[in-house]
Amino acid sequence: MSVFGGDSWAREAQQRKRRVDDLALEQLNGSSYKKLSGGKYACLVCPHSPILDSPLMLSRSVLKVHIKGSHHLAAESKLKEKELMRQDEMNKRIALSDSFSGTAKCNTYHQKFRAVSKPLIEQSQKATLEILCDQTPRHSSTNRDHDVQLILDRITSRSSNPSQNSSCPAFEETHKVVASQKKHLDSEECREKELKFTAAGWKRDCHGKWFRDENVEFDSDEEDPNVCLG
Amino acid sequence: MYLYSLTLQRATGIVSAINGSFSGGKTQEIVVARGKLLELLRPDDNGKIQTLLSVEIFGAIRSLAQFRLTGAQKDYIVVGSDSGRIVILDYNKEKNVFDKIHQETFGKSGCRRIVPGQYLAIDPKGRAVMIGACEKQKLVYVLNRDTAARLTISSPLEAHKSHTLVYSICGVDCGFDNPIFAAIELDYSEADQDSTGQAASEAQKHLTFYELDLGLNHVSRKWSEAVDNGANLLVTVPGGGDGPSGVLVCAENFVIYKNQGHPDVRAVIPRRADLPAERGVLIVSAAMHKQKAMFFFLLQTEYGDIFKVTLDHDNDRVTELKIKYFDTIAVTASMCVLKSGHLFAASEFGNHGFYQFQGIGDEADVESSSASLMETEEGFQPVFFQPRRLKNLLRIDQIESLMPIMDMKVINLFEEETPQIFTLCGRGPRSSLRMLRPGLAISEMAVSELPGEPSAVWTVKKNVTDEFDAYIVVSFSNATLVLSIGETVEEVSDTGFLDSTPSLAVSLIGDDSLMQVHPNGIRHIREDGRINEWRTPGKRTIAKVGSNRLQVVIALSGGEIVYFEVDTTGQLIEVDKHEMSGDVACLDIAPVPEGRQRSRFLAVGSYDNTIRILSLDPEDGMQILSVQSVSSAPESLLFLEVQASIGGEDGADHPASLFLNAGLQNGVLFRTVVDMVTGQLSDSRSRFLGLRAPKLFSIIVRGKRAMLCLSSRPWLGYIHQGHFLLTPLSYETLEYAASFASDQCAEGVVAVAGSALRVFTIERLGETFNETVIPLRYTPRKFVLQPKRKLLVIIESDQGAFTAEEREAAKKECFEAAGTGENENGNVDQMENGGDEDKDDPLSDEHYGYPKAESDKWVSCIRVLDPKTASTTCLLELQDNEAAFSICTVNFHDKEYGTLLAVGTAKGLQFWPRRTLAAGFIHIYRFVDEGRSLELLHKTQVEGVPTALCQFQGRLLAGIGNVLRLYDLGKRRLLRKCENKLFPNTIVSIQTYRDRIYVGDIQESFHYCKYRRDENQLYIFADDSVPRWLTASYHIDFDTMAGADKFGNVYFVRLPQDVSDEIEEDPTGGKIKWEQGKLNGAPNKMEEIVQFHVGDVVTCLQKASLIPGGGECLIYGTVMGSLGALLAFTSRDDVDFFSHLEMYMRQEYPPLCGRDHMGYRSAYFPVKDVIDGDLCEQFPTLPLDLQRKIADELDRTPGEILKKLEEARNKII
Repeated sequence: MSVFGGDSWAREAQQRKRRVDDLALEQLNGSSYKKLSGGKYACLVCPHSPILDSPLMLSRSVLKVHIKGSHHLAAESKLKEKELMRQDEMNKRIALSDSFSGTAKCNTYHQKFRAVSKPLIEQSQKATLEILCDQTPRHSSTNRDHDVQLILDRITSRSSNPSQNSSCPAFEETHKVVASQKKHLDSEECREKELKFTAAGWKRDCHGKWFRDENVEFDSDEEDPNVCLG
Repeated sequence: MYLYSLTLQRATGIVSAINGSFSGGKTQEIVVARGKLLELLRPDDNGKIQTLLSVEIFGAIRSLAQFRLTGAQKDYIVVGSDSGRIVILDYNKEKNVFDKIHQETFGKSGCRRIVPGQYLAIDPKGRAVMIGACEKQKLVYVLNRDTAARLTISSPLEAHKSHTLVYSICGVDCGFDNPIFAAIELDYSEADQDSTGQAASEAQKHLTFYELDLGLNHVSRKWSEAVDNGANLLVTVPGGGDGPSGVLVCAENFVIYKNQGHPDVRAVIPRRADLPAERGVLIVSAAMHKQKAMFFFLLQTEYGDIFKVTLDHDNDRVTELKIKYFDTIAVTASMCVLKSGHLFAASEFGNHGFYQFQGIGDEADVESSSASLMETEEGFQPVFFQPRRLKNLLRIDQIESLMPIMDMKVINLFEEETPQIFTLCGRGPRSSLRMLRPGLAISEMAVSELPGEPSAVWTVKKNVTDEFDAYIVVSFSNATLVLSIGETVEEVSDTGFLDSTPSLAVSLIGDDSLMQVHPNGIRHIREDGRINEWRTPGKRTIAKVGSNRLQVVIALSGGEIVYFEVDTTGQLIEVDKHEMSGDVACLDIAPVPEGRQRSRFLAVGSYDNTIRILSLDPEDGMQILSVQSVSSAPESLLFLEVQASIGGEDGADHPASLFLNAGLQNGVLFRTVVDMVTGQLSDSRSRFLGLRAPKLFSIIVRGKRAMLCLSSRPWLGYIHQGHFLLTPLSYETLEYAASFASDQCAEGVVAVAGSALRVFTIERLGETFNETVIPLRYTPRKFVLQPKRKLLVIIESDQGAFTAEEREAAKKECFEAAGTGENENGNVDQMENGGDEDKDDPLSDEHYGYPKAESDKWVSCIRVLDPKTASTTCLLELQDNEAAFSICTVNFHDKEYGTLLAVGTAKGLQFWPRRTLAAGFIHIYRFVDEGRSLELLHKTQVEGVPTALCQFQGRLLAGIGNVLRLYDLGKRRLLRKCENKLFPNTIVSIQTYRDRIYVGDIQESFHYCKYRRDENQLYIFADDSVPRWLTASYHIDFDTMAGADKFGNVYFVRLPQDVSDEIEEDPTGGKIKWEQGKLNGAPNKMEEIVQFHVGDVVTCLQKASLIPGGGECLIYGTVMGSLGALLAFTSRDDVDFFSHLEMYMRQEYPPLCGRDHMGYRSAYFPVKDVIDGDLCEQFPTLPLDLQRKIADELDRTPGEILKKLEEARNKII
């Protein structure tokens, strides 16, 4: 840059360079690198945070020098695994706090990850799953299923990238969850029906059987969810 | 959010009225207090009441009195208000304002029990005034004259007595002895001490005389004597040679004459025969009329019956007190007997009446007299009478009153340009549904069909000095028709007008000759019948004409302008020519200024979207003085001159000015000021009037020039109390119009529309709305719209009345007893209290009130009304003492019925001694017969009064006492699905939006609730921290509610954004927090974002836009029958400007009755973010120099401020 100011080509060149850098970085996930004060870049994915001179080394363009490296790829998959574990833990805790605050709700994850090994409480878990399923996608902001879906979407979109193929076991596990969730989303009408019954004053006992709330009035010919939901 | 508050319709109810000659001399005026408004009314020669002056005083007027100094010709007004000050006003006839003569501070502001202001009493000789509080304090001011004959007022003299309640005070007429004031008092000191209640039950009212010793200058209790505990009102009896002096004490069932050292003279007030025994008779208002030789009193009972009371006296000894039934009119707040033989009756509710005395009831047969008073063991023997039709009074005018507005909706049901405001007004038999439309009311005098479609109409006088018009000239496409105005309007052919051609203009020219301009020339018809004809040169035709009395300008096709003048011999002479660049679109000449030979300005509109001002000065030779470009080609031009004013009739100071108005082809009215010297145009304003290009006509309204603009609807532009108002007329589209004066109709308008000629007059200038009234049966409570068929469903109920059938039966019985044989009253239509007094109904309920039943009896009905035809399509009278309290339409999901109507009722509701009820019900009705009729589906018993109902997610939410409950529709009843019992008092309003429920509690403001389907529970997640007594509520947006409380405040509360987000985003829905609560309430608190003291109880709120394409504002209706609007400001500049203007107005022009403006608007809570438009709009009533001073401070001109005010008003209406 010209110290004398004015229409020096140098400033323009500088800006052009910065623009190219920006473009190169645009494709990158902001959390995977850090721009240092000296204008260099540090990769945050790799555990030893290597310093790279140019963003082109980070970028996925033709050069993709660093990113293609086996060290980096390994680090990335490890990181993802960690991330998933954390998410998992969070959901678990939310679910726990929920069941603590009154209703016997259990988290999908809780059920999925722990239940398989504990067949004794399978029956109650089935019931809790059904209760959880009562939440319609309409309550999206408060809906945990939906949150799960979002996480899964993010993961699947990332893993669909052909440049990397992780074989993280947690990932496989969540894939199964997706499938089971999908099934439930398909049976939306069923859930809507169940919700209608709760709104009409039906409650479920610990066996998943429907019973009438004693504070609520019913019509003589009202449908019995035990019958019509099977 | 900043709001601009503006009163659209001033209060129409009256709390107090006095009469006297306030302008001096013989004429009598009436001063009325309408809550926060002081008005001066005067009956005109036709017996119509005209409002001369109306001043908002920004305070509550509690009492009014008038007095006259001995020997003076003029009455002063004393005002007792909530300002803690006594104010004496004088009406200034010249400037048409109230001048404040004296303002004496004595206490705190606000309506408090021991601060005087509630009662006023005047010494009949005008020497002193007593101002009293409800309790303890009474102050006496001595009034006198100084050497320059100015009124002086002394420092106050105290006549306090602690632990004493005051019921009424009045002056005692004792001639020129020391002034005496009488008061009905109750000493409660013992009752307060005695916890057993023994003393309370023995408490006794006393009549006490206070004497003002003018020599010693102090007040002493002179005399005190026990009176009936039912005593409620005192009336002064003339004394000092005119009568026996003393007072009339009006008590329950009795009128007693009392004086010091005089035995009581007592007479019983006659009762209506059908009155239940438990009810007493109270006098509610009184008027005394005194002539030279006699005096009498008119006392009105709470049932509306007026009794004439006369005293037989022998000097100071009263021998007999006679009570004679006089007439029955609606119950009044005040009655004023005018010297002209009129009675002004300020109604408690509903329209006010103005009556003429036909007789004074001086027949000898009296109903009740002290001489015939019978006392038995059970007490005094009652006397009965039968009310009859008016005999002594004849109603000659009535003033419309909306008081009280019970409910309101702004909807465009009739698909007009602007929405209609539907209001439920009145009480009991005087209740009505009123449809208000923005615009002036007109009264149509005549409509006559013409042969063909006329294109234009003019009226002409024969001579300048004539008062009335001589001819109506109607132009058709190929002919001209002349009608002469006389006893009848008929066609004439001997006038000299050319009838085989259309006319372009017809007018009076010079002093006494007529001019007809037709396409081929000008025909000048002299008074003696000579005709001069000027022909156009060549094949050119006249396109446009502009003329005044002495000048004529014509525009020929092609753009040439020819200018004529009337010379001294009355000849029309061509003076000048001017070639314009293109065709002329329109022309107008300013009227000839007084004392001048000609007007200097000619305005020419061209198709190139310009308006030019040409000089007509002979020296200038039609030089162009200024050019104004406009947005579209002008269609019509009109100069409007505004005379200079220094107050006077229109109550405002402004210099003379000349305005040029232009109606543009895009429907805009363009208005600009013409400099009277240079002809320069400045300060332009424009306003969209309608889809058609406005045609402008000059007409006369109240003796002043006004402008009629005919667009897709007619508009009138006129000056009212210093404001230029442009108001639509409630009339159909008109084609062409002219002013019209005849002996039947002094200030009318003749207009053509279609093939009809219409003559009409414009009424009640200055009002914003005109109303259509549909009478109702009982006090209307609420109403809803049946959206599909556009029908209104109204619930009405009354306590202590009989059902229509019972009334009808009783009436029949009574007629049979009276032998009048009235029998065609059986049909249902007659049961309505139709306001039509011409009907052959001898006892219309509107006047006589309903017969009274026991107070625990309720009557109620549900009415389906078609507002288009003003007909009731279905009326269900509720049976068994049931009364309706809430109503809503509801669509239950998955249910086959479609829209249903839910009505909440209570059976046998009693408020006293404690609130009890037999049962509450929710009725579900089905609309049948295309919504015109109702059919009961089922009714569900509930444990309390369902005071609020609302549809929510395909179910019905009901507020029953303090329980919010969700119901679903069942086969035989409503099914309770979910409830929340945590509301503090009584739920009075429910509004819903998405999954939020906004509940209004009668005493504790709003509560925001959420319904969770998955848990089937209702949660309160936020509430207000201020305990507001809600009277009205409206949902503004997701987080905001507008409410009004019973102390006259309007406020907005909003849930803070972060709290709202938290509620919506929290996966648990903030449930843990809900369960915790805060300060015994909900966990989250709303914030107050707007606060304003209206000064009147707001009963209904609605967000609506009153102008086509305008922004929405919040409209409110009040108990006093006023309508107001709160408009949100859109720019910070406006906020700054108006808040500064408001500040300067506060400083420079403090309110008339001594209340501090800021203090008033912050009476209960500090005013927040609302600018008082009513105060700002007082700007034009300031003296000119003050206007200029304020304008300088704001760095603007007074004209710009007026323009701003006009703009702000135009945004609302």
